Amino acid sequence: MIAYLLNLAQLAAIFGLLSVSLNILIGYGGIFSVAHAVFFGLGAYAGAHVALDLAPDILLAALAAALIAGVFSALLALPALRVRGEYFVIASLGLQMLATTVFTEASDVTGGLGGLVGIPPPTLFGVSLADPLVFLLVCLGALALALAVVRLLMRGSFGRALMALRDSESAAEALGKNVPLLKTLAVLLGGAGAGIAGALFAFQEAFVNVESFTLDQSVLIMAMVIIGGAGTLAGPLIGTVLLLALPAALTFIPGLPPTDIGAVQQLIYGLAMTLLMIFRPAGLAGRRAGQR
Amino acid sequence: MSALLSMRGLTRRFGGIAAVDGVDLDLAPGIITALIGPNGAGKTTLFNLITGHLTPDAGSVALAGHMIGRRAPHHIARLGIARSFQDLRLFARMSVRDNVLCATEPASWFWQPGGKAARKARAERALAATGLEALARADAADLAYAERKFLSLARILATGARIWLLDEPASGLDPASRARFSALLRDAVADGVTICLIEHNLDIVIELADRIAFLDQGRKLAEGDPATILADPHLAAIYFGERA
Repeated sequence: MIAYLLNLAQLAAIFGLLSVSLNILIGYGGIFSVAHAVFFGLGAYAGAHVALDLAPDILLAALAAALIAGVFSALLALPALRVRGEYFVIASLGLQMLATTVFTEASDVTGGLGGLVGIPPPTLFGVSLADPLVFLLVCLGALALALAVVRLLMRGSFGRALMALRDSESAAEALGKNVPLLKTLAVLLGGAGAGIAGALFAFQEAFVNVESFTLDQSVLIMAMVIIGGAGTLAGPLIGTVLLLALPAALTFIPGLPPTDIGAVQQLIYGLAMTLLMIFRPAGLAGRRAGQR
Repeated sequence: MSALLSMRGLTRRFGGIAAVDGVDLDLAPGIITALIGPNGAGKTTLFNLITGHLTPDAGSVALAGHMIGRRAPHHIARLGIARSFQDLRLFARMSVRDNVLCATEPASWFWQPGGKAARKARAERALAATGLEALARADAADLAYAERKFLSLARILATGARIWLLDEPASGLDPASRARFSALLRDAVADGVTICLIEHNLDIVIELADRIAFLDQGRKLAEGDPATILADPHLAAIYFGERA
């Protein structure tokens, strides 16, 4: 049981980092991306390769993952960021479909559908982090660092500029904000964060394959941000814990057949999202509708 | 007096319609120029062409003799041309103070030119001048209509821009707010700011404008002092929709 809870807590910290990184785009920048799992995947594959081919050093793997996911996200986003609003959602959807195909087909790099197996337990400067509790602390440390960085940035001029373009691009431009640059920086930061989460995920699972980086995963991460409260610091964490705890909690309901858990989970998600959009569109940590 | 901002042959077409058609206009420094004309005259389009929100099909815009046409809006803003929008476009989910602070921070990078204390002081001065100090922590979305108008003005004030382009800034204001607004504009002009104002309320135009340019169907029909322009029966007929 303790091992199960530790595993769940590790996943919550990793997905917390993932949703905090997506919140930079959706919550603060107003950039609705449904391709965040792509950068999660890039980071996971990069981290896995560092561990398998170089050394299982978690810092090295995280840096490589952040670099690769960050740079790719900025490069891939540059043409897409020229379009606004709903058009970007469609462009990111296209990117997600394309990346899923590439992850599946580029088997020399990704292992194809079979994935990359046998990722060794992580180390830090030669010290083993294989103990689940120690690894959990590392994941929580990464999450805390990400939260601190986001808090610092969003309270400063960069955060104000990002939120300004979220609320009105043309007014932000009229105040001297370079909108394409701001969007690119936001995507780069969000991508780098997702990449680090990916590297941690690779170590946590000791295995990565394309099934963890599909459109379903992107939608789940987006739901975590929106249900929790986009544009708030605590919101993505609340959303992550809720959406990860729900399937786990359902397994403890007596009389519910394991084969029906998926359907019940979808019903609850659907109902929760609908009610939330009606009564609390800013998410659980956001302001209530009509609240001053 | 040489113009601070000059437009020559400025033209912008949307399909077959010329929204702005060969407009020549000079904004003399330190005065208020009002742009008037019926709806669809091209006044807001002219602002969009000056600020880079639209690219002209022909013509030029020069700031103190330097061509600035076809630059991105953020470049033009950093040259000291600030604008407001008819629909205000406040940063609704940010606080009043953050809206104004944002206007003092032109760079999009992680750091800003000039000292933090100086920028903060400029923002506080703008809040005080527009009477928004007490509302500094409120979200912009929660402000009353007149307060939103003043926040729009506070943002411009905080930029430190030399040229203000104001698109119907006084529409919908009650008499007391309008008096505060007029005083604010006069103070700015006294400090050397050049203002170009789009306004449908002719009382405000008469009260504030030193010069008027009359636009109709994208063309500048007349330009001169307010008494001359407003006394022209032909222009009045066009303005009030009584053209033959």
